[in-house]
Amino acid sequence: MTAVFGRLLAAEWRKVITTKMIFGLVLVGLAFSCLNTVTLTLVASGVIPGVPQADTGSLLMDPDYLTTLLAQAGTASTFVLILGVIAMTGEYRHMTITSTFLSSPRRGRVLAAKMALFGVIGALIAVVTMIAVVIVLTITLAIVNHDHAPITASAVGSVLLGAVIGFALYAILGVSLGALIKNQVAAIILALVWVLLIEALLSALLPAVSKWLPGGALNAAMSVTVRADPTGGLTSADRLPAWGGALVLLGYALVFAVIASRTTLRRDIT
Amino acid sequence: MDAVPGVALHVESLSKVFGRRGQVAAVNDLTFSVAPGRVTGFLGPNGSGKTTTLRCLLGLVSPTSGRTLIGSDPYRDLAEPTRVVGAALEASGFHPGRSARNHLRVLTDAAGLPPTRVTEVLATVGLEEAAGRRVVEYSLGMRQRLALAGALIGDPGVLILDEPANGLDPEGIAWLRSFLRAQAARGCTVLVSSHVLSEVEQTVDDVVIINRGALVHSGSLADINANAEARTTVRSPDAERLAQVARDVGGAASADLSPDGVLTITGMSAAEVGHLAFTSGCELHELSAHTQDLEQLFLELTGGTE
Repeated sequence: MTAVFGRLLAAEWRKVITTKMIFGLVLVGLAFSCLNTVTLTLVASGVIPGVPQADTGSLLMDPDYLTTLLAQAGTASTFVLILGVIAMTGEYRHMTITSTFLSSPRRGRVLAAKMALFGVIGALIAVVTMIAVVIVLTITLAIVNHDHAPITASAVGSVLLGAVIGFALYAILGVSLGALIKNQVAAIILALVWVLLIEALLSALLPAVSKWLPGGALNAAMSVTVRADPTGGLTSADRLPAWGGALVLLGYALVFAVIASRTTLRRDIT
Repeated sequence: MDAVPGVALHVESLSKVFGRRGQVAAVNDLTFSVAPGRVTGFLGPNGSGKTTTLRCLLGLVSPTSGRTLIGSDPYRDLAEPTRVVGAALEASGFHPGRSARNHLRVLTDAAGLPPTRVTEVLATVGLEEAAGRRVVEYSLGMRQRLALAGALIGDPGVLILDEPANGLDPEGIAWLRSFLRAQAARGCTVLVSSHVLSEVEQTVDDVVIINRGALVHSGSLADINANAEARTTVRSPDAERLAQVARDVGGAASADLSPDGVLTITGMSAAEVGHLAFTSGCELHELSAHTQDLEQLFLELTGGTE
């Protein structure tokens, strides 16, 4: 049983590294994360207008704001979610699900292996993204040449820990969502509309509800307790504790996976 | 790697209805077995339920009723399915951006097989040179070869191939033919579907013929040949009287006179018709025997429609 699961993990890993899809998504995610970090740094330093003149520069002195700049690494989470969705729905789209289920007729095990592997992959992407964001932030701060609070190891460590847990769970959530909604285009559109539109609206309008939804839970898991509002300031957000956010995310993933294994995963492969 | 002896395949009272309200009965109370050490042709027109039956055998489609067994177990209960059954179902089950070699590596990883198997099966199907190219660049024939390579990866005792000759060039078809014969000769169970009898006629020992999801004929190819009805055509100035006598006295299954004066008699050999004409005093201008063409028989068995 353990040996069989190990074999499935190996097969899933090979599927990931033998197409270019993952590298593209990771790069795009990295780019967006870095772009957000740079933009907010430039806004806070007054290079890009948007902050009241009096606040220019002073925001950078706020350690919380520095942490928020680091936490822009979280932008890549959307791409990690999509990555999970594509990993599962791609099997149906290209009909590789036939040989996958011929190799392993116990379909639940395949889903479990994919979820486990993408948890690890999500964590790895978090590390890579975090490294890129720290480098880009350091360079940007040096270029704008303002006084700023130091980038502390503890700040980087806490954001990194949150990103590792958050990305891992988001990737797992993506896989389980893909198992539930096998149509790739539909699943991606749903995930994007949800994260970019519905969650964004709810977090502004109904924070009490939003904190229980995947996006809010992700922010909680990543210990993002404040969010940068459009004027460049900080608004403290209503969040669950980090462990609570992680549990809520894991809960969504497991519920999706259980529903999928009793419905869509059992469907005929024709 | 030693050959795994083939096991028999059993399809027992299999029915499959697609659609929630039961609109489409793809397979209807189908029962047959496939013996090891033989090549069995699974024949029927397009849409007759062949693929559905094969997918039920492989645990990909759940039967509405009845069951399918690989030896004594349902496919889903096989501990090491890749080493027992090799299946090539359609030529489209590949990620377009993945190379043939990597596609097969995924299979060896999942089955816990040594990576050397990849090189071996690529050589068997003649894809070594193209192995590093992405499948999107492959022709239909190359995809068929890759599908077959995937089926062979675990050196299984059972091969289940759905229309494997599609897209192969004549050389490829000839190769496939001898390959399948060799597999059966070493004790493997080989089940090959086709909608054209002539395509597999020279390859198969047994045939299972279905039409509209139901069994039409199951047995050896030799049986079918023996069952093929004798047909005799006659030209005679007394054709109408001869037809009458053939039906009434000769025991002919049918005796039909065409407008151009050819009398076709079935169920009687040429010798019997000749003798009958002689004893009944009918003058004969032409007498010829026809054994029924196998393809013709197949078309008749399957309703003659595609």
